[in-house]
Amino acid sequence: MTETLIEVRALRKEYASRVGKPRIIALDGIDFTVRAGELFGLLGPNGAGKTTTVKILLGLTAPGAGTAFIGGLPVSNPESRRHTGYLPEGHKIPNYLTARQAMTIFGRMSGMSSNDIKERVPALLERVGLAQWADIRIRKFSKGMTQRLGLACALVHRPNVLLLDEPTDGVDPVGRREIRDLLREEAKNGTAVLLNSHLLSEMELTCDRVAVLRKGKVAAEGTIDELTRRTAKYRMIATPVDEPLLAMFRETGAGVERVNGHLELSVNDLQHLNALVDGLRSRGGMLQELSQMRSTLEDVFVDLVKTEGQQS
Amino acid sequence: MRVVWANIEDVWREAAARWTLITYFILSTIFIVIFASAVNLDIVDGALAGARLFGKDVEMRGGGIGIEQLVMYSELVFSIIIYGFSVLLAVFATAHLVPRMQEKGTVDLYLSRPVSRPALLLSRYVAGLLLAASNVVYLTGAIWFIVAWKTHIFNPRFLLSGVIMMFVIAALLAFAFLVGTITSSTAVSIMSSYALCLMSIFLSIVHGRIDAVFSHDWLAAVVDGLYWIVPKAWELGGSVAAYVTGPISHMKIPAPGLSAFVSTGMFGITCLVLAVWRFQKKEF
Repeated sequence: MTETLIEVRALRKEYASRVGKPRIIALDGIDFTVRAGELFGLLGPNGAGKTTTVKILLGLTAPGAGTAFIGGLPVSNPESRRHTGYLPEGHKIPNYLTARQAMTIFGRMSGMSSNDIKERVPALLERVGLAQWADIRIRKFSKGMTQRLGLACALVHRPNVLLLDEPTDGVDPVGRREIRDLLREEAKNGTAVLLNSHLLSEMELTCDRVAVLRKGKVAAEGTIDELTRRTAKYRMIATPVDEPLLAMFRETGAGVERVNGHLELSVNDLQHLNALVDGLRSRGGMLQELSQMRSTLEDVFVDLVKTEGQQS
Repeated sequence: MRVVWANIEDVWREAAARWTLITYFILSTIFIVIFASAVNLDIVDGALAGARLFGKDVEMRGGGIGIEQLVMYSELVFSIIIYGFSVLLAVFATAHLVPRMQEKGTVDLYLSRPVSRPALLLSRYVAGLLLAASNVVYLTGAIWFIVAWKTHIFNPRFLLSGVIMMFVIAALLAFAFLVGTITSSTAVSIMSSYALCLMSIFLSIVHGRIDAVFSHDWLAAVVDGLYWIVPKAWELGGSVAAYVTGPISHMKIPAPGLSAFVSTGMFGITCLVLAVWRFQKKEF
């Protein structure tokens, strides 16, 4: 069985508010695990508790209740960060340093020897496409370059857990693909990657599994496939499509919608779908195309957020 | 140990990149050059035949003062000036170390490393002290060398007085770290450190005559209490002077008692402990 590297159990966090106002619940008992070699995404609207979760995992903030472990160690123990790499959102790597100096300082703070640093830094800079910029001060870097350097700093000590907050923020499409490839490679080598991003398409392309946080709780969790195949929806192009046909479909309990010359059908199962096709044929209709529709991660996300709006 | 080295490297590189280090040493060099060019001594057969300070002849009373005495006087004056100058510069050059580290987006990078918060804060404190010490060594060392070169009189006490200066700087830096940890503001750290320095001088001056200065007993008690809490910048300045001139000097500058050192040390340690405690508890 694959080793669990990040474990969060019944994590709860409240923030004090102004006197007389209720406390703000940032996390309300969330649970999740990330295994070695897994790319796990945390999604959620602003204020859902994503950043608080990452901060607790890094010991930047103490949990109100519950437990969090990295590599089997409680996150209150600094040793849990020995093999953890972190890229914060909007990070400020001291801009008076060069890329090489920054990586050397952070490598040393992670306990690396000088020889190891000398060997690792050029290789990593090459890997993130900054080899030519190794000795240039960071203040000269573009946002995308700073982001790549942040990633290199997070990876310098060969971590087996990576916590990344908006890793592709400000990076061009080619760079985004490179970062995606790099993360996949890290995961392939057994690193557990926890991604926190608003770029849903990016998460969809990168993550194996995601959890959607809503109001400090896990509203949904699963693989991208599981989350996006929640409803059995099909796209049908057929002729002729008239109102009596649609009425017949609706009578079976199917959801039917006309969209740009095709039909979107919501059915209970495959038998139900076949019954609709039989109905079409019995009325002399011709089936031109039938394909399963998949909701995107964005659809799932928006649905969940809408639910939140309706509940509140 | 690697954490300490990493912080020292970080602090020194920042000081170099932000011109702090250069300004620090340019100001000190100007000070040294002024001193070197201001002192002109005529030494004949190992004895002082004449001396000019800032272009003016030094009066040789009763057949002239001895060269040892002149060296002692100049080193006394310069040790006091260096004391004030180095404390002023040290606070200015290092007070930003905590506020800047605590900035959002930066503190996460430091705290995500396998370093305990006390170790991180204390290694930064050590790095700041080393930066200040480099300047004190440069100032006292250069003046000492110039004096020795011009007069062939070596007074190691002048050189060693830098240790007392560093003791005071260490206490003030601990206070600046405490303020920086609480407020995350460089300006507030600098202002409050200077204010503390001024207050300690004021308290030292009035302490001997509290009853005469304050009409209310409670006010006298508060001032007396404060006097024993704050670092003794004034007394330790006197200590620098007394140490430089030495016990055999005819000047007989009174040295403050051990209590000035103990209370200053206690103040520094307390500030540092509180800063570590606050930093440990702080949520980012």
